[in-house]
Amino acid sequence: MLFRDIGGIILMFIMPAILVVLMATLQDTTLNVVKGVDIPLLFVNKDNGALGNAVFKEVENSGLFKISTEVEGKVPTREEMENLISSSKYLLGIYIPEGSTDKIKGNVQRYVVSAFNGVDKPPFKEDVTLSILVDPTAKGYFFTVLMGTLREKAQKVQFEFIMKEITKEVNEISPVVVSPTNFSGEQFIIDAKFARKGKSEIAPNSVQHNVPAWSLFAIFFIVISLSGSIIKEREAGSFTRLLTMPCSYAEYLLSKSITYLMVALLQFALMLIIGVYLLPLFGLPSLELGHSYFALFFMGFSAAVSAIGYGVAIGNIARTHQQASVFGAVSVVLLAAIGGVWIPVFLMSPEMQIISKLSPLNWGMSGFYSLFLRDEGIMSILPESGAMLLFGAGCFFLALLYNRKYRMNK
Amino acid sequence: MQNSAAIEIVNLTKRYKKKINPTLNGLNLSIPQGSLFGILAPNGAGKTTTIEIICGLKKFDGGDVFVGGYSVKTDIRKIKKLIGLVPQDIALFTSLTGRENLTVIGGIYGIHKDELKSRIDTLLNQFGLTNSADKLITEYSGGMKRRINLIAGLLHAPEILILDEPTVGVDAQSRNLILEELIKINKTGTTILFISHYLEEAECICDTVAMMDGGKIVLQGNPRTLTDSEPGCKNLEALYFKLTGKQMRDSYE
Repeated sequence: MLFRDIGGIILMFIMPAILVVLMATLQDTTLNVVKGVDIPLLFVNKDNGALGNAVFKEVENSGLFKISTEVEGKVPTREEMENLISSSKYLLGIYIPEGSTDKIKGNVQRYVVSAFNGVDKPPFKEDVTLSILVDPTAKGYFFTVLMGTLREKAQKVQFEFIMKEITKEVNEISPVVVSPTNFSGEQFIIDAKFARKGKSEIAPNSVQHNVPAWSLFAIFFIVISLSGSIIKEREAGSFTRLLTMPCSYAEYLLSKSITYLMVALLQFALMLIIGVYLLPLFGLPSLELGHSYFALFFMGFSAAVSAIGYGVAIGNIARTHQQASVFGAVSVVLLAAIGGVWIPVFLMSPEMQIISKLSPLNWGMSGFYSLFLRDEGIMSILPESGAMLLFGAGCFFLALLYNRKYRMNK
Repeated sequence: MQNSAAIEIVNLTKRYKKKINPTLNGLNLSIPQGSLFGILAPNGAGKTTTIEIICGLKKFDGGDVFVGGYSVKTDIRKIKKLIGLVPQDIALFTSLTGRENLTVIGGIYGIHKDELKSRIDTLLNQFGLTNSADKLITEYSGGMKRRINLIAGLLHAPEILILDEPTVGVDAQSRNLILEELIKINKTGTTILFISHYLEEAECICDTVAMMDGGKIVLQGNPRTLTDSEPGCKNLEALYFKLTGKQMRDSYE
């Protein structure tokens, strides 16, 4: 019967495939925002001194931005610049006011001279305000990333000024000439890498994160189709006929569940094939499946059982097709949201982190991450897959109980 | 319980939560084996509830129902093998053809493939549906849907056939064919429980009718004997109105 609705079947496979490809591609771009996406930036340098030029050079060298210094052949004022950015003509603006270099130089000189002369009282300091303006439609995390980048560049310039001034003062009192170039460059090495367990060859990347997350989300969307099918059969009367045949209600639900389980597993297999073979065609890394295919199958199976149990419960409890489709769709989106499909759980508030543990999609994500990011085996996913299997079975029994308690009495 | 009864209903009670009156109020009914038994009742009298209880689709509050000697409380699986239900709704899978529907249903009953094919062909021919067997159910006319719905209930050759309004919304030809075939099926020994609003149908084909009102049987017997014994009642309809009145019953429950 399921295969008679070819359009429906195609949608059941094509829509999740599109979802995985689209989300993996989009999130890859977002996560790699610091790697070569041209962000439109308006740079107004009224200073024209060393500071302004150094910041401009650093910003230019970062490769992040598409820099404009004029608008329609004219250097805008601070107010004009703010208007342009607030109306989203540019995503970002940097304004360096006139005389900034001289003021910083003066501040540094005064500080260094007073320090070398043993003066306790802090010297007079002229305020220098570098303005960074961000489009109000830019997301919070984007703002944070850009602020961090610009602050780093500005501090680097300031540090070089201080070094120059200290060297100058030292050279005045020292018989040996000291050059600041001898103290240039970073004095430490940051070795940042993803921690790996054992001999894992898996490199964590957006594909390893996104394919399992969105596959899980897609598997759960079978809830709408399954619950809709149960309600349709109930409303059309074919359900009544099935119940008068020599099979129990549990057998009826089980046979339907097995069919949908096959579909969900095929869906999952398709998502993995897309991750391995199709995503590289979009310039993304190929999905690495980890060393244990059995663990992968078991986790997919557990996720499918969990989703199908949930669909069976909704199909039994909802009174109409509309109720099932709306509740099914919204609840899956909510479970995905609190489960960490969109926003990582570690970024959530402590209260939400506790709530997220109630979502079966969180268990699924956790299990899939063990396989796709930590390259672990069957033992490591047993708690998550066990929880998902129990959830599926619990929903199934809830459906049976509801039918026995309420529907047979109606 | 008598051995000769195909269906024995003993003091059956059923009250729905939001209803003031009980739908079934100590219903007692004995349907003899091999009979063509009609139940006549106004809306809300409990006909459909009775059928659903017989088929194990509904729970009940008191009493018991025995089908082929088995209690619905304990042996519903055995009962399901004995009965064939033709519900009022067209209880078929709309995405399948007529033949596919019958094949799926026969498969669930565990009928062997070759035997099933032969039985499907015979029944399709018997009910004039051979030429449209491979069309989708959605393409069937009202009469064709009724006939294929009836075939679905007959496919496993049940000992007891239960029909809930089998001729609703069909043309005279289909109706005539259905009634003629029911008489033939009954003659092969199948007990038929026939529920209809069309009193003349019941009068025409049933050997026994029971009139139900207020959740219990108010009169039972052979249609001819019943009308003859009631002065002033020319037919079953007149007797029915006399017993149940002419007041609308939609809000009885």
